Amino acid sequence: MSGALVFARKEFFEIFRTWRIVVLPAIVLLFALTGPLLARYTPELLTAVAGSQLSGLELPTPTVFDSYGQWIKNLSQIGIFAIIIIYAGLVSSERRSGTAILVLTKPLSRATFVIVKAAVHALYLTVLAGIGTSITWGVSALVFSEAPGAALWSASAVWLVLALVYLALMTLFSVLIRSSAGASGAGLGAFLVLSVAGLWPPLADYSPAGLLGRAGALASGTVSERLTWPIVISLLASLALVGLAAMIFRRQEL
Amino acid sequence: MTAALEVSALTKTYNGKRALDAIDLSVEEGSIFGFLGPNGAGKTTALRLITGLTRPTSGVVRVLGHDVAGAGNAVRAQLGFLPDVPAFYDWMTAPEFMRFAGGLFGVERSVLTQRAGMLLDSAGLGGVTTRIGGYSRGMKQRLGIAQALINAPKLLLLDEPTSALDPIGRKDVLDMIDSLRGRTTIFFSTHILGDVERVCDTVAVLDRGRVLTQAPIPELKARYGTHKISMEVTASADALAAAIAKRPWAGAVTRENIGTIEATVTDVQAAQHDIPRLVADHKAGLIRLEAGEIGLEEVFLDLIGEAHA
Repeated sequence: MSGALVFARKEFFEIFRTWRIVVLPAIVLLFALTGPLLARYTPELLTAVAGSQLSGLELPTPTVFDSYGQWIKNLSQIGIFAIIIIYAGLVSSERRSGTAILVLTKPLSRATFVIVKAAVHALYLTVLAGIGTSITWGVSALVFSEAPGAALWSASAVWLVLALVYLALMTLFSVLIRSSAGASGAGLGAFLVLSVAGLWPPLADYSPAGLLGRAGALASGTVSERLTWPIVISLLASLALVGLAAMIFRRQEL
Repeated sequence: MTAALEVSALTKTYNGKRALDAIDLSVEEGSIFGFLGPNGAGKTTALRLITGLTRPTSGVVRVLGHDVAGAGNAVRAQLGFLPDVPAFYDWMTAPEFMRFAGGLFGVERSVLTQRAGMLLDSAGLGGVTTRIGGYSRGMKQRLGIAQALINAPKLLLLDEPTSALDPIGRKDVLDMIDSLRGRTTIFFSTHILGDVERVCDTVAVLDRGRVLTQAPIPELKARYGTHKISMEVTASADALAAAIAKRPWAGAVTRENIGTIEATVTDVQAAQHDIPRLVADHKAGLIRLEAGEIGLEEVFLDLIGEAHA
């Protein structure tokens, strides 16, 4: 087995043996289970709570697209924040603890160390997104009697691309910034910049900044146009960010 | 004999301060090399440069004939390394870490299983299946040594391998190092003189980033005098110490407690003849005069003292 595979195996085991198997799955599961229920019963809850105060206001009948929208909205904010915070120490935590020294004095290159970490967690995020989407789909079908798959799966896929961009960005920040808190701050700053940039169409059409809006539009059942370029550019940017992280890590002193 | 490790004019500067100042080292294949120095002398910095974890400001490190600056996996595959404070994945067990470490070296599964078991047994960790997170510092140190040997390295680099161990653990580690004599090259840093004296063939003394000397231990002792004299007088100890220091057979002379003088000597018989006369000349009484073999401690203190003077 090559060093890269051995290290990838260690990363997978680390997910299953530490807090990593709890935090993100718990968040995803919570959103997947509560999103459809909240979408379906919010009008009734409001009516029950507010009583006659809302008698003049007619609340729209919830649809399955409200459920999908809730799922994507939750993932786009708290889900991305969680990714930023969790992966802020992806590389730096191994440097701080000293485990990187034992690993990198063995026949495993520094570039492989960084790339394998990013790749394993990209796969983990993909699996989590798949499981979360399946649960949302199933619960939505139960609650709303109908659940067209295309809108939900395409929206989740677009969100996943954005999640991969943030994973790659945090990989880079965790190489550049030794403190996890510092890297988290930089990640949240990047989130703010991308959110604001998404309001400007030229940037939204050709960068990851446009992915959030498009995921939301897809979830609401709207066919989103100009989807290819932001996705292609985001995936390429993710690869470039991880490549840059690996290149910088190779030159760093441990 | 060829050199397993060669260091030439190696310098490392941190924020304008020289942690290592143009050090030269040559470690012969098959030898046990002690890298001795007080805390803060630059030992760990040197080992980080040798393992390629850090880049030198200037100078060259050649490991097994290869320049570390351009060395890749092929060179690392022949190294075993124990850092000063070994850190492990707390969620792993010792056998799992050994399999992980061996896997990175590409050790064949059947060999790995057998070797890991043997090394863990010799590290006193055989049958320990709890997670490493619950280990004491000493257990981690012993696991660190075991993992450094998983690839049967040609060059074993140990940074303060005995510092966290109790006397029994320390003896076990030194016995293990001794048992590897001739089978691999061992370079270990320490501030414990006794460890070097017990197992090393050659020693380099490092102080404040400079190598003060490098030599086989018997040669080093001979260079600084093979014997020492310890004496106690009733009066005029300072004047006597000054007079002894001027004698041709005297090396370093130190004053200890009131009336006590210690000196390294090149000719112990001449010293034994001369000293009573010197004591009489200074109108003092001789309480005690002892001659003994010199230890590495005297050499070390002498070297450090000279460097600080």
